[in-house]
Amino acid sequence: MEVPAGFLLVSLLLFSFAATGYGITFSSLPRSLVVTTSPTQGQVLKAGEEQITVTWALNQTFPAGTDSAYRTVKVKLCYAPISQKDRSWRKTEDEMKKDKTCQHKIVSRPYSASNNSFSWTIMRDIPSATYFVRAYVFNAEDHEVAFGQNTNAERATNLFEVQAITGRHASLDIASVCFSAFSIVALAGFFYMEKSKGKASQQK
Amino acid sequence: MDISQNLEKNDRKFALPVDSEHKATEFRLFSMATPHMRAFHLSWISFFSCFVSTFAAPPLLPIIRDNLDLTATDIGNAGIAAVSGAVFARIAMGTACDLFGPRLASSSLILLTAPAVFLSAIANSPAAFLMVRFFTGFSLATFVSTQFWMSSMFSPAVVGTANGLSGGWGNLGGGATQLIMPLVYSLIHSHIGSTKFTAWRIAFFIPAVFQTLSAFAIFFLGQDMPDGNYVRLEKSGEKHKDNFSQVFYHAITNYRGWILALTYGYCFGVELTIDNIIAQYFYDRFNVNLHTAGIIAASFGLANLFSRPGGGILSDVVAKRFGMRGRLWTLWVVQMIGGFLCLLLGKVGSLTASIVVMLVFSVFVQAACGLTFGVVPFVSRRYVLSPVC
Repeated sequence: MEVPAGFLLVSLLLFSFAATGYGITFSSLPRSLVVTTSPTQGQVLKAGEEQITVTWALNQTFPAGTDSAYRTVKVKLCYAPISQKDRSWRKTEDEMKKDKTCQHKIVSRPYSASNNSFSWTIMRDIPSATYFVRAYVFNAEDHEVAFGQNTNAERATNLFEVQAITGRHASLDIASVCFSAFSIVALAGFFYMEKSKGKASQQK
Repeated sequence: MDISQNLEKNDRKFALPVDSEHKATEFRLFSMATPHMRAFHLSWISFFSCFVSTFAAPPLLPIIRDNLDLTATDIGNAGIAAVSGAVFARIAMGTACDLFGPRLASSSLILLTAPAVFLSAIANSPAAFLMVRFFTGFSLATFVSTQFWMSSMFSPAVVGTANGLSGGWGNLGGGATQLIMPLVYSLIHSHIGSTKFTAWRIAFFIPAVFQTLSAFAIFFLGQDMPDGNYVRLEKSGEKHKDNFSQVFYHAITNYRGWILALTYGYCFGVELTIDNIIAQYFYDRFNVNLHTAGIIAASFGLANLFSRPGGGILSDVVAKRFGMRGRLWTLWVVQMIGGFLCLLLGKVGSLTASIVVMLVFSVFVQAACGLTFGVVPFVSRRYVLSPVC
């Protein structure tokens, strides 16, 4: 009974792939959303302090009924090409499952064709880099079906920068230096103790 | 802990059976008896802490590279720096051991490199990151003092085992740190509530403090030789005080040292290279997530628990039957197999096959390191370890 078993296995695999959305590529997605953001080209924003406002709406030039399958919108902060250079962990891949361009979620909202806006305070764990904003549209099976972004196809316009927090605090700096100094002083102490032990055994 | 305070040399009783030089002829793993087994435990624990510190950065790189804006090139250079500083430090360490004794030499080096680990917490740029990894890497020279100390404390019959276990369990730190650092980081991040970019910095204090404490332990609890410390033995005339240039000259003119240096470069050097890149390899090639990549990376280094000591024990076992020839032939065979497995690792394309090959490869490459140090103590009785490392 090999053939039916093989057929079963293959169809099981195909179904599971279909269920997981295996193989959705970015290039297959229509750019049916119009996304605009508040930062101007080249503006530098401080993480943890400043805000960006994102608005998105359906592009009216698309035929009616385009958005019949649209259910949710996820807006993400994405790395611009210059911040992806020599950093393979931010690489752009056409296959959505492997793509690492957009790693920071801004907001997730149910889909509506217009009047979408969100003000986001840049989170403190966003690293220093150059960014743009992209919104992915998902259907009921949670697969990407469309997108929109505030930059052009080459991801070269309307880019803005984020300046991250350093993560350093004065207390950390002081502790670090003090412990280091302590190690060196302890070492000097060791040498002194060793020398006096040597003298003591010589005198014996 | 100065035994000589109360007893004359001839009256001294040791917990383990000893030979004419008072080196232990047996190795009892679960004993802490002074001076032999205590020296063993002090040396492997301190060497372990140095490995934990040197490879503390790789598992936290996903956070650090975002905080310091590192590129792949920066990360690669820092990894090279971390292990290359040790090259010259180890040569110097050999001489320091010959002159000052392993106890003082190792505790000094550990205390000198501890600041580099503390200061990692305040690194703010790719250049600073490279510098702290470079100077932290110097601590890997404690390997030399570990092996020197074992060679001073244990007789030829068991020195391979002692060296293999102390070296292997020290190298274990490179694997353990891939589990320890992410754990410490997530404890600080979730329970204390620090932001990601602060949490990794605080996390570095753990290996730094551990390292400092191990230096204190060595200084106060250890002794250089079965009969006492160098400083006391030299002043009382029991130990001849060596001259630096004599020591160095005899070391570098010994051809055996150079050959072993070459072969060791190709087993231990390979092991360190893998330690640095294996997590990234699995992450990039097979798209596993970072936690998984870290666990796989850890298992490579954790094989050191038994594989390097296994090499040392194997060396002693074949030596009983075949002597030095047995030790050398076994080293050759094991390292060759390790080499073939390394080639194979690059060729396999599936995740499962890669992990399996990597695990077998780790056993052979680490065993080769253990086997190397079954041979090293016999290169020269007097000028033990200056050249090889």
